[in-house]
Amino acid sequence: MANIIFILPEIFISLSAMFLLIFGVFKKNSSATVYILAIITLIISLILIINSQTNHEIYLFNNSYKIDQLSNLMKIIAIISGIFFMLSSYDYTKLTNLSNVEYSTLILCSILGMLVMISSYDLIVFYIGLELQSLPLYVLAAFNRNKIQSSEAGLKYFVLSALSSGILLYGCSLLYGFSGSTNFYTISQNIYSHETKNVFGLVFILVGLAFKISAVPFHMWAPDVYEGSPTSVTLFFAMVPKVAALTVFIRFLYVPFVNLIDQWQAIIIFLSLSSMIFGAVAAIGQKNLKRLIAYSSIGHMGYALAGLAVGTNSGIQNSIIYICIYLIMNLGIFCCLFMMKRNGKFFDNLEDLSGLSKNHPVISLSLLILLFSLAGIPPMAGFFAKFYVFMSVIEKSMYFLAIVGLISTVVSAFYYLKIIKIIYFDEPKEKYDNVNFIGVKISLTLSTLLILLYFVYPSGLINLISKINII
Amino acid sequence: MIAHSLFFYFFSFIAIVSSVMVISSKNTVHSVFFLILDFISISCLFIMVGAEFLGMIMLIVYVGAVAVLFLFVVMMLNVAQQGKELFENINTYSHLPIGLIVGLIIFFELIIVVSGWKYKPELFSIDSLSLNQNITNTHSIGNVLYTDYIHLFQLSGMILLVAMIGAIVLTFKKKSGIKRQSYIEQISREKKSGVSLVEVERNVGVKIDE
Repeated sequence: MANIIFILPEIFISLSAMFLLIFGVFKKNSSATVYILAIITLIISLILIINSQTNHEIYLFNNSYKIDQLSNLMKIIAIISGIFFMLSSYDYTKLTNLSNVEYSTLILCSILGMLVMISSYDLIVFYIGLELQSLPLYVLAAFNRNKIQSSEAGLKYFVLSALSSGILLYGCSLLYGFSGSTNFYTISQNIYSHETKNVFGLVFILVGLAFKISAVPFHMWAPDVYEGSPTSVTLFFAMVPKVAALTVFIRFLYVPFVNLIDQWQAIIIFLSLSSMIFGAVAAIGQKNLKRLIAYSSIGHMGYALAGLAVGTNSGIQNSIIYICIYLIMNLGIFCCLFMMKRNGKFFDNLEDLSGLSKNHPVISLSLLILLFSLAGIPPMAGFFAKFYVFMSVIEKSMYFLAIVGLISTVVSAFYYLKIIKIIYFDEPKEKYDNVNFIGVKISLTLSTLLILLYFVYPSGLINLISKINII
Repeated sequence: MIAHSLFFYFFSFIAIVSSVMVISSKNTVHSVFFLILDFISISCLFIMVGAEFLGMIMLIVYVGAVAVLFLFVVMMLNVAQQGKELFENINTYSHLPIGLIVGLIIFFELIIVVSGWKYKPELFSIDSLSLNQNITNTHSIGNVLYTDYIHLFQLSGMILLVAMIGAIVLTFKKKSGIKRQSYIEQISREKKSGVSLVEVERNVGVKIDE
């Protein structure tokens, strides 16, 4: 019972999700209240997690649930990004009639699943968390039933995710059969008993996970789903699940499979290389901003995987830093999308940005900063993120990975700069409405300032993440 | 003992006959009802060999959920067009060869399973497991499920909740312009609001329900 404090956040989120459902049934037209209550729930669970910080490693439920520095930090990142997601998309969901009681509840359930995934130390717990995370996402992708693309996105995501879950489960069952346990630590102990057979399980599990983070060649669903879903849901896709998926990647690679590093390193390097190249090249021809962000997120996941492929502590830490900075940049870009409103309609095509700087200098300036950062131009934070990752790659003298990464950075800089050219040098279009969304403004200001001023005090983030020592 | 085997033959006879009827009866609604009968008799067989948990789960899941779902689907089909006769014409069985091949494969698989069981008994020995013979299946499953796997049990509950919410959100549509029934409004109606006296103009009439 003394350990209950460590799962209090999960218990609290699940109880409040149920409470909010009941509350929404009995109180009519309470969607706005429920939305705000959901934000408050997330804030309270954030406090609960920070409150239960320890320096020890705590195992719960027969060693199937692990609380350590990594899980605590990743949970905090996931919940903070969840809070900012809800803050920034509040007005968008209200204006597009997406916001009802179920919307907030589903997001809470999805975040609960991510917390379970992050802490999982057992194949079954991991899978249950994964399903609890992705089931709400299918529904959210199809949430806008008046738009046919939204239904298409939901269905496509559902079918492909089910396929990848099947592959993942097949890998899990192979691993369980040959190593005799579902516990991560026991698997790592028994991995040598049937090494070649366990490698089959490893490959299937990595394929399933690569599907979930949309790494090439398992990325097919991402552009359609990102484009079809409502913009707020796309922001959710682009931010929060990535944190959980990256943590699961770290856990799988560095606990059960740590002794098979020679086998998985090649796979991760291939995933990373192909994602970086594909993300850079395929985004060039895109006309839709959400679709473009989907391709850029594929590319960015490639950079994050490059850090994991190294197999050192600094590689893992730099991947986590990369993901944090990537989340902040994404938040800013989507905040700008939430502000592009004219006559009650939101726009998300590239040409709608044309000449934005004449009418909206502030939005264009923050877009400029964020896009420079995404392209990796110093002194923005995005440059440092890439710099750290490549530094740890070069430390292990994996020059090929670093060179391809740099080349694809240069290629991807082309389309980021193209957007800036459209904003600053093209013919201006009609003015967008002046918006007074407080949540969006706070999020945009915060993310832009963080990206711009990161170089002033970079050691804050680095010190926080340097506590994570997996190996 | 004789009663036990009597019951066994009774239920197995029903199971076999009803499974034959599932594929041979022409009316699909009848097929589904025979399927339900089949499930019930098989769950009785399970209970007779002492697997009472499996039998009850079979009853709840297959009869309670799956078969009823089938019934709903079948009722959506146009049953009236199907003929009244019980057995279909024999020359329409053009798919018989494929069915026979699949049946044979399943039969051989069963033979492999049973022969392994018969000729290599140490493969399936339960003596190595420390099972307490005195407690029932339900009891021992519950013991594990609610102690060691309580978190997974609760999280599965959350997944089912999410599935339910999702199904409702994606299918339920509040249409405007439909007159809905509200008991409270109906009961609390009074004469004043319901009846009004109108002076009718000649050759014009009155318009009701505007």
